[in-house]
Amino acid sequence: MGKEKSKKGAGSKGLSGLIIDPEKPWIQVIAQMPDHIMTLTEEPAKKFYHDAKVFVESTADVSGYYQLDSCTPITDVYNLEIEAMGGKMIYGENSMPTIDFRDPLIKNLEDLHKLKKKEVDWYNDGRLPYALECINLSLDYEGVAGSFCAPFSMAVGMRSYPALIKDMKKRPDFAHELFTFIIDDVLVPYIKVQNDYTDILMAFAPDAWASVPNLSVKDMKEWVVPYTERLREKCKKLGVMIMCSSGTYSEEQLDKFDAEILHGCFDVGIACTGAPMLFLLYGPWQDYPLEPVRDYTAKLREESINVTITAGVNARLLRDGPVEKIVDTIKHYIDILGRDHSLSFFLDNIPADAPSDHIHAAVAAIHTYGRLPIADNLDDIEFKIPKRESFKEWKKKLTDGTI
Amino acid sequence: MAVTNTLKELENAILEGEDDLAQSLAQKAIEQNIQPLNIVNEGIIPGIEEAGELWKKNEYFLPDVVMSAEAFKMAMEIIEPHLTAGEFGATGKVVIGTVAGDMHTLGKIIVIVMLRSAGFEVIDVGEDVSIATFIEKVKELKPNILGLGCYMTTTMLDMKDIIKKLQENGLRNSVKVMVGGVPTSQEFADEIGADAWGKNAIDAAEKAKKLMEGS
Repeated sequence: MGKEKSKKGAGSKGLSGLIIDPEKPWIQVIAQMPDHIMTLTEEPAKKFYHDAKVFVESTADVSGYYQLDSCTPITDVYNLEIEAMGGKMIYGENSMPTIDFRDPLIKNLEDLHKLKKKEVDWYNDGRLPYALECINLSLDYEGVAGSFCAPFSMAVGMRSYPALIKDMKKRPDFAHELFTFIIDDVLVPYIKVQNDYTDILMAFAPDAWASVPNLSVKDMKEWVVPYTERLREKCKKLGVMIMCSSGTYSEEQLDKFDAEILHGCFDVGIACTGAPMLFLLYGPWQDYPLEPVRDYTAKLREESINVTITAGVNARLLRDGPVEKIVDTIKHYIDILGRDHSLSFFLDNIPADAPSDHIHAAVAAIHTYGRLPIADNLDDIEFKIPKRESFKEWKKKLTDGTI
Repeated sequence: MAVTNTLKELENAILEGEDDLAQSLAQKAIEQNIQPLNIVNEGIIPGIEEAGELWKKNEYFLPDVVMSAEAFKMAMEIIEPHLTAGEFGATGKVVIGTVAGDMHTLGKIIVIVMLRSAGFEVIDVGEDVSIATFIEKVKELKPNILGLGCYMTTTMLDMKDIIKKLQENGLRNSVKVMVGGVPTSQEFADEIGADAWGKNAIDAAEKAKKLMEGS
């Protein structure tokens, strides 16, 4: 793959344009769902995770089937840079490729120094041609951003979590050297290539590892925020805005829910995005109270700062249901946060075997209760759980031209 | 007094996640002729249990628990050769592994430590383990509990097939099956016919003990 092969131009919508199209009269929803798409489309992993056209077109099909507001082809972003540097992978027949943590890329300081000297071709090594083409093709489907692995999650992928934690606690010099390497020698060149190849002006990174309780707020302020800021500054010079969804609150045990820790996570998240954006992702948000979110944004709202909130609908809820709980969760989100925040929804890693009825109900609930302006009383809105054809039937209609 | 001090220091070293110190204190305890089982019960286990308690109170986060788990492992490496057969690990036997195509290791590492601190003998069959290997290991090692982990929603579907194969091989009634990992849930565990779901490592160890009480 050569330099500057494809220049479509993207990203002009700005940061909020990642999700929100101001033309649409409802709160909008996108999804992360590679496992689910692979199951619905019956594409084998060896094609789905290696052929960009298959990946992006499958994502577009399933996004169309569910009537999502935008097609967001999110591939296995935690793997790609590490794989390109020679990291050992496991390629399952029916699953996403995964890093082989039994044999991590960096086992010691010497490995890091060797890697620093290694010349990585950020266009062609590993599955980078696939990754770059996924971004490129996604621009045909209203995609606006590149993607990469956030620094902390990448450090976990390079070292394994226990080893990285030990580095941070007992060998901080080594850990700082590793994080600096990730920013300066991995991410900046890779994001530059994305920009050169597709003209993207922004790039997004999920960062599931940099969340409570995987890290404390104190840990994140010490190890996540400074390196994300460093990356943001360097990418700004390239003309690319970056955004990492670091600092999410993912505590699974409801009896451990703590508003103070949640607010600390929001501080981290805002520092990492450089904008008043909150990501309510990964955790069982259907069971958390939402008032502490309002408490946090109260001061910003008083100052007329428009707070953008991405409300996650939890993967296990989407799989296990029941549909009524999915709908109630969405209705509650909109009722509490929809009127005075810039709210959008994210169906959070839809599981492979999640029933399609659950996803249709979620999207319909978002578009119905999220009709703008938001009604004073959502109970006044009639909502019917939609009955839809299967994906196969829908696809046949699409091919026949009957829809 | 010196004996008490050593065990208290060992407990603190594990609680603080000081793995090298925990190992040297375990060695010191052996040299002081403290009964190996006492070292485990009065030094090592209280340390890891306290870490679990701090986790429940939001005073410890995953890094702290991982460091304590590492210290637990290092101390146990010193003590285990001195324990007589059957002296420790009498709660039950667990075979644990990550399903095929999956590299879920972190949760498994902590689950193993928590199970061992609860008195289980744990045999780790690794990651990316095929259905056939799980069945072979159950036949060969005759565990009380089979623990299955995953972190992808595609690979978790293998768990259902493993339970089906246990039934086909006439093994299902002789072993309890526990499942865990990010995408799993109680609903999923019920759906595939597992005996328990571990929400996290501490929960897994508590549920494993309950399974043994009921067996």
